[in-house]
Amino acid sequence: MPGSVKIVVRPESSASYVRAITKGLGITLKHLLEPNKATQQYPDEKWDLSPRLRGTHRMATHEDGRAKCVGCGLCPTVCPVNCIKLIPAEDENGERYAAVYEIDEFRCIFCGFCQEVCPVEAIHLGVHYENAEYSRERWIYDLERLTELDHPFTALWDPFDPASE
Amino acid sequence: MDPMTGTAFVIATTLKILVFFVLLLVFVALSTYFERKVAGFIQDRSGPNRVGPLGLLQVMADGLKFILKEEVEPGGANKKFFFLAPVLGLVPATVLFAVMPFASPAPTRWGLMEMIVADVPVGFLYVLAIASLGVYGIVMAGWASNSKYSFLGGLRGSAQMVSYEVALGMSLVPVLMLVGNVQMPEIVSAQQNFATGPAAYGAWFFLPLMLTAFVFLVAGLAETGRVPFDLAEAEGELVGGFHTEYSSMKFGMFFLGEYAHLITTAALITVFFLGGWDIPFWQGDNIRVLADGTVIGEPTWWKTLLTFGSFAVKTLILVLFFMWLRWTIPRFRYDQLMDLGWKVFIPIMMVYIMILGLAMYLLDEAGIPVGWQYSGALIVLNLIMMVTLIWGLDRGMIVKGATSRTRRRAGGIRGRMTPTAPSEVD
Amino acid sequence: MSEPASETIRLTIDGVEVAVPKGTTVLKAAETAGIVVPHYCYHPGIPTRPAQCRMCLVEIEGQPKLQPSCVMTAGDGMNVVTQSEAAREARRSVIEFLLLNHPVDCPICDAAGQCMLQDYAYETGQLESRFQEAKLVLGRDRIADDILYFADRCILCTRCVRFMRDVAGDEALIVAQRGHKAYIDTFPGKDLDNEFRGNIVDVCPVGALVHEDFLFKARAWDMDSAPGVCPGCSNGCNIEIGAKENQVVRIKPRYNAEVNSYWMCDYGRKHLVMANRGARIDLPLIRRNGELEAVHWGEALTWLSERMPEGDGVAVVSPFESTESIAAFRALLARIGISGGGYRLARGDEAQLAGFPKLKLRAERAPNATAAELFGFREVESLPSIAAGATVIVAGDRLDDLPADFAGDAGFFAYLGSHLSEAARNADVILPITTFLEMEGTFINHEGRLQRFRQALVPPGVARPAWMVIRRLLSLLGDGADVLEAEAAFERAATETPGLAGIAWSAIGPKGVLVRTDGAAAPSAR
Repeated sequence: MPGSVKIVVRPESSASYVRAITKGLGITLKHLLEPNKATQQYPDEKWDLSPRLRGTHRMATHEDGRAKCVGCGLCPTVCPVNCIKLIPAEDENGERYAAVYEIDEFRCIFCGFCQEVCPVEAIHLGVHYENAEYSRERWIYDLERLTELDHPFTALWDPFDPASE
Repeated sequence: MDPMTGTAFVIATTLKILVFFVLLLVFVALSTYFERKVAGFIQDRSGPNRVGPLGLLQVMADGLKFILKEEVEPGGANKKFFFLAPVLGLVPATVLFAVMPFASPAPTRWGLMEMIVADVPVGFLYVLAIASLGVYGIVMAGWASNSKYSFLGGLRGSAQMVSYEVALGMSLVPVLMLVGNVQMPEIVSAQQNFATGPAAYGAWFFLPLMLTAFVFLVAGLAETGRVPFDLAEAEGELVGGFHTEYSSMKFGMFFLGEYAHLITTAALITVFFLGGWDIPFWQGDNIRVLADGTVIGEPTWWKTLLTFGSFAVKTLILVLFFMWLRWTIPRFRYDQLMDLGWKVFIPIMMVYIMILGLAMYLLDEAGIPVGWQYSGALIVLNLIMMVTLIWGLDRGMIVKGATSRTRRRAGGIRGRMTPTAPSEVD
Repeated sequence: MSEPASETIRLTIDGVEVAVPKGTTVLKAAETAGIVVPHYCYHPGIPTRPAQCRMCLVEIEGQPKLQPSCVMTAGDGMNVVTQSEAAREARRSVIEFLLLNHPVDCPICDAAGQCMLQDYAYETGQLESRFQEAKLVLGRDRIADDILYFADRCILCTRCVRFMRDVAGDEALIVAQRGHKAYIDTFPGKDLDNEFRGNIVDVCPVGALVHEDFLFKARAWDMDSAPGVCPGCSNGCNIEIGAKENQVVRIKPRYNAEVNSYWMCDYGRKHLVMANRGARIDLPLIRRNGELEAVHWGEALTWLSERMPEGDGVAVVSPFESTESIAAFRALLARIGISGGGYRLARGDEAQLAGFPKLKLRAERAPNATAAELFGFREVESLPSIAAGATVIVAGDRLDDLPADFAGDAGFFAYLGSHLSEAARNADVILPITTFLEMEGTFINHEGRLQRFRQALVPPGVARPAWMVIRRLLSLLGDGADVLEAEAAFERAATETPGLAGIAWSAIGPKGVLVRTDGAAAPSAR
């Protein structure tokens, strides 16, 4: 019959409310009596984070504290959410550098493309996720802030050398 | 020893009011902590554990938060009723404790002090009267908030309360039939095992009145408005139900009211069906004061404390049971809730009352005295009825599943929708 | 097909048969078949072909060695294979050789993305270098005032040297040293100061020559580009405007065989990069109680249409305005009864590109004086002194060299402009109009060639093209309908002067069309 509706009927004769409730009570009682402590006391105890966790950005620096960034513009190009603002300029030695480098961590999706694409291994994601700010403006990390951060860099996965970046 | 009279009675009553009111509120506050711990454990969590040792100061923190939070009053709200509703949510639950006998009478220098705030002659009629006031808080909150969610919550709340009020009242009728008195201390005494004085049944009423106890338990749970009967709140569909628009201490009063209700209901079940403050298998606590002032048994202070412990333990076990139930069972569907109240409990209670009356008549005719044989006969009768009821429930004949209506309707549309036989499904 | 059989030869390139005129090189013939033969030293605009980069080597059946296709004349019945194993291997070797000392600093190179070395290296797929020794580092040099030379990136194709010698006729550049130490330098004792030196940056196939104005400004893929016409002088060179974040960052010449070939002058480049500067007017302003007040368009135009005085007055138009705007302005003047009207024109030194006679930095430093003449405006040395109570209407002219009390006691002073100068602040009404970068339109160059340009930037605030503003005003004054598109504006203008009669918007092709300028005195003729 075209257009017919198949009605799935739960067999009432076998539906047992008392049994179901008793069974449910049994399960909850079991957990009540031996509470399985799945809770982690978060601020006191912390996770063992994977070295490949993609978190807050960090900018690598040379020994003299200058950012390694050469302002090539690949990270704003590859960024899928346009969260990187870069204005390159020429420094006193005639080298290209990032006069303005800002990452909007609020907009960032932590895909890690910027780290992957960086030709000088300057911008990195980091193994760090505890960010909280009182204003949206504070989420825009400038170059100074990115270089001052000191959490570990995120390790990129390399099929030929899984241990290192 | 004579019961207290005069000034001593007034002072004693005032003291009892103060002590037990404070005690009740402390228990209410602690039960919120208790519930969160129970919920935590059932869900494999820790529950509150950051404020104070074991999180015990969480109660204080919550209270502080309630007081310090901003009060929001929705535009278009009826100010008077909006303010009155939380008061009406909390007050009936606490006032119910006035007629609760907590312990055996205590001897004092000025006479025997009955451990009940007010031994009113109307007894549990007072309980029914005050308990039914609880619905006003919900209805008022729902109506005064000027919010559709609150309004729907209030509507549901009133319908539910009215429905289960009937079952609740009817489930107390068998108790009245056995005891022959509405006074609460008498009900407790009737469940004890006395050799002298008015007849006592020697068994807690949850045995000879098993079915009634079951109905009272469920109806009482419905009266507290807790899962699985929290349709007035129903955060899944009504945001917060009747208290959606409430904030700060006004919400806090609803919150306290819910737990006060919980404890009160547990205490009522204890008094009516679990022997009140009676300690099982011990005759030393068989103390009663007759209407003419005669005291049977030997009241002492340590017995008072012991019996109060018994009462508290029974009540807390019931509270725990309610909490356990809450974190296990999902919410009733609205039609199922109404079906259960009107189509199941009320007819069952009507039939039960008649059967019980018949049984009592037959037992009296047979000349069996009130006592353990009488109770035994009733227990057997109740067991049979209980098994029949559970068998019926268990087969889905009383509370129908969601598909039963569809099937009924499908069959009605002249075969246009052919239901598939159960064997073909799965 | 009407080509004379005697002058046509047929040959096969990668299996595609093509027919080309006799004398065509194999590389050109391949282009007609849509096959690009990689090349560095060959540039279509530079006449000399040294065939020294060895990149365009192709295999020709019957010839024992690979042949450089840029100089090899196509012969009848030739069978050319550009993708043969031998040709590919040859290109591979050339690329590997060029990359030996190349710093591979693509991330900081301004040519990245538009670099022929990058493209071909990517195509041949050499990811690893076999070169074990340390790379030679030559550093960089300021080869001209505004051009930097990165010797490490240079592949010594000598396009720049040959452009200066063979096209600009100024032998300022040489290849200094030999072998792997060779680099490009200015001839000893000579400066690279030719007016057309900027073109060496455009011909450079890699990032060795970089214009200082563009250094580290933008990546190739960051820029939006729009075809335009250079407004620097009346020559009307075709240009490609590269804009990033609504700022002009680079100007490149666009090929037009009738006007500028592949080249343009440095004056035009500088002039356009200056276009980013200055405070713009972005809202209509009207004078109320002695103060200028920002209002919205509807209010400003209604206000103006109610107060527009009738009768003669002073009208000034800018030769930087588009033809459509000048036409609309003329229509407005006719409506309110102002006859005549003038424009001011800056003049400067001329400079001629030796290798392409049509390209010359003209003395008239404005793109559209011809159109102004066509619509009856006459060049004036300076603006007449404004009599008290006179009506003054200025369209486009910035007035930035005039005293602050210009037209201070005029009866009515309307100003349509893009920048707010001191003199313009005396106006009773100021309407924000776009510059040519922010609109679509046409210019008519010195020889009467009408050329289209496209919008490159977003206008600031609510600025609108002058023709749109004036036509709207005219419609409020009860004269014609609104015009909202450049095409309609042009067609309206074409009905208002015999010079443009019969020219359809769609007929203005990439080379432009010549218009009749006999009704007007060509400014260059005087």
